[in-house]
Amino acid sequence: MSAHSTQHKTAFSHLFFWFMFANGGGLAALVLPVHILVQGILGPLGIVPVVDQHYDTWISVLGNPIVKLYILVLVALSFFHFAHRLRYLLVDFGVPAAKSVPAQAIFYGGAVVVTIATIWILLTTAPLF
Amino acid sequence: MKAPAQAARAEPRAYRWTMPANWWTRNRHYFLYTVREFTALPMALWLLWLLYDIKSAGAGAANFQPPRSAAFIAFSAVCFLFATYHSYTFLKLAGVIMHVKVLDKTVPPRAIIITMFGLWALATVVIGAVLIGFAR
Repeated sequence: MSAHSTQHKTAFSHLFFWFMFANGGGLAALVLPVHILVQGILGPLGIVPVVDQHYDTWISVLGNPIVKLYILVLVALSFFHFAHRLRYLLVDFGVPAAKSVPAQAIFYGGAVVVTIATIWILLTTAPLF
Repeated sequence: MKAPAQAARAEPRAYRWTMPANWWTRNRHYFLYTVREFTALPMALWLLWLLYDIKSAGAGAANFQPPRSAAFIAFSAVCFLFATYHSYTFLKLAGVIMHVKVLDKTVPPRAIIITMFGLWALATVVIGAVLIGFAR
């Protein structure tokens, strides 16, 4: 066996997807419950005032570049995490086709599509400054 | 040389193992594992709604409809339960997955779990304060 054949190659695709999966899961775990609680339950019930219940406050907050970046990172990372989990859930439910390359293209491609749509929505909804 | 019939008999037969469709309902741990994996779907749906909410703000003040319907609140309540379960299971796993060394000493998993739950509490307070504090 030659020395060349024993060299290890860095699996960059694995590195990338595990980075997205782990950080997406972590970020969603840290911040998503409070978004859902405040924006989805307490605000609509009128228990607390929330930025997205009034047009002027919502559009003002959305115009902030830090908020745009935060929403983009939250959505992009989370959707890569969701894509990975749902694909393997299908495998667990007895759908081996979910391991295939076309299935990977659909799930991770879906995450890419949502990320691109998020960029477009954030850039077109509220002016940056 | 073997005869064709003998060769066919000697060929290994593939054992095709299949899980019963209801495997995940047979054991509490399997069920909770499945629920944990499933949490991704309601969370994804809620984030898609958030994108729709952001997009609807672009339609202008006259067309803006703040989300207040009972159906939306019920949907959010269901998503909140799944999102909280995701947080609990994911942050609890951090102690197993993460191996952190400080001054050549491995940080105990319990300390990592406590730190992660502390970060969750801190993020909840900060984001909650921003969402409420910047409201009119």
